[in-house]
Amino acid sequence: MSIEVKDLSFRYGKILAMDGVSMRLGEGAVGLLGPNGAGKSTLLRILLGFLVPDRGEGRVLEYDIRRDRAAIRRSVGYMPESDCFIAGMDAVSFTAYFGELSGMPRREAMKRAHEVLFYVGLGEARYRLLDTYSAGMKQRLKLAQALVHDPRILFLDEPTSNLDPTGRAEVLELIRDIATKNSVQVILSSHILDDIESICDSVVILNKGRLAAEGRMEDLRAIHYSLFEIRVKGDEESFRRALGEAGCRVDETEDRLLKVYMPEGADPMDLFRAAARTGVQMRSFVKSRTSLEDLFAGVVGVD
Amino acid sequence: MAVIRERGYEHWDGRLTERRFPWWPIARTGVRLAFRKKGFKFAFAGAYIPSFIALGLIYASEQIENFRTFVRGEQIPLKIDPGFFAGYLTNGFLLFMLVFVLAFGTAGLIAEDLKHSALQLYFARPLGKKDYIAGKLAVVAFFVLMLTAVPGLLLVVLKLIFAGSFAFLAQYPWLPLSILAYAALLTLFFGGYVLLLSVSSRNTRYVIVLLFGAFYFSAVLAEIVRGIFRTPYAILLSLPADIRQVGAALLGGKLAKAVPPALSFLVLAGICALAAAVLVRKVRGVEVIK
Repeated sequence: MSIEVKDLSFRYGKILAMDGVSMRLGEGAVGLLGPNGAGKSTLLRILLGFLVPDRGEGRVLEYDIRRDRAAIRRSVGYMPESDCFIAGMDAVSFTAYFGELSGMPRREAMKRAHEVLFYVGLGEARYRLLDTYSAGMKQRLKLAQALVHDPRILFLDEPTSNLDPTGRAEVLELIRDIATKNSVQVILSSHILDDIESICDSVVILNKGRLAAEGRMEDLRAIHYSLFEIRVKGDEESFRRALGEAGCRVDETEDRLLKVYMPEGADPMDLFRAAARTGVQMRSFVKSRTSLEDLFAGVVGVD
Repeated sequence: MAVIRERGYEHWDGRLTERRFPWWPIARTGVRLAFRKKGFKFAFAGAYIPSFIALGLIYASEQIENFRTFVRGEQIPLKIDPGFFAGYLTNGFLLFMLVFVLAFGTAGLIAEDLKHSALQLYFARPLGKKDYIAGKLAVVAFFVLMLTAVPGLLLVVLKLIFAGSFAFLAQYPWLPLSILAYAALLTLFFGGYVLLLSVSSRNTRYVIVLLFGAFYFSAVLAEIVRGIFRTPYAILLSLPADIRQVGAALLGGKLAKAVPPALSFLVLAGICALAAAVLVRKVRGVEVIK
């Protein structure tokens, strides 16, 4: 296990940001998912040693999160959510500087800085002052500084925030490339479901500081429910009520498509029986592949 | 877009090491960034004006016989002794230039990191709070020592060279150590003072104003209090006066006021203690409001 935490709790004053979270993360890209305020960033900060948990314990790689903070930070790369840079520096000096602070020899850090800046697509702009960088360039720069010392684990906190669609696609492509290297594990914290779905093998869903779901994406999709997309004509309210009584959760999209989450083991024929009973016509019936969005809505209870 | 995809991510085959002085890259980068600022090199060079004047006076003192025609009577007006060095190292212009150089070169040391959220990048590295603070303190130390200890000791050496003998050093063997002690004291005081103000704001310009304002307003305040209460102890409120008092005591100069220099030392030490307490509290990887 690369990351293991047990009963982790943390408070910001009176606000309980993390409440008894326990989990074990193996190899591969892991998505950390949750609505705003779910505790994703808090968890990353605890794992990095920025915050000391009020309760619980944990290990990152083979290191204890309370005792071995320096060793953890030497082995991981961190790309924070907010814009961060040092005014008056160019990208090469900046990246090499943080490589050096990670423990790289000065010359090696400078050489590697050039490499990672080319890798993230800032090769041509590497001698420009950071003060003049656009939001997208700063995002790539943050990725470069996180990669410069070749970490074993890469923590990415909302890596595609503030990016236009093209920039987002390019950064995601970079992250996917890194994640496919077996020796770099990517922990991607995001509230953008598509980002996580397109990159991660497994997902941890946090909600209100608690662990809402955890596991491989396929397993999570399969375990909880089957999803059917239905269009009906008639007394929709009665039909929805009947489905609710049968233990199904029903969401309606803007174009009046009903998404019916059926509990595992329930008979899909019950949907037709409910339609017959309530006198509605079923105009369309499709068994849908559950997306991460559906899973998220299912466990967190938000759309 | 193609270039970055073609090669893919490549590992670094080197090995990370544990630094003996993790603060060293911070210090080196801080000094380099200060010199990159517009006009800073001129300000730094200008801060050596008192040193060149002192050098000229030392040279003149050794060549006094050549200037005898300009001097009335037998009295020689120029005497190079510890009092001369005390006067040089505590003079108002040097202190002003010191504050000027520190204000424009180091005011943003922490303020800029706060403004651009860079602290989390530092603390995502194997760096402790003390390493970060030591690195920033070393930047201030560099400028203070370059403007006090280095020229002070060089002037002693040049005095010996101009005199052609070690008589001066034999007479005042403690002087180089006193210069070093005074420079160390200034380093600690200005280190604490600059970092205290730098950590108090995200706006470097505001910090610059505070650096000048607090330093010289304290002198004005001391004069006002002295005028009202008619007590010499009012000078304890003045930071420049406290520095002069301690400097005079360390360098064997004449005390300007009848106030024990130990009290001035305590005032300066108090500011350092306050700075340490604030820095420990405010320097952290993430903002935690509890």
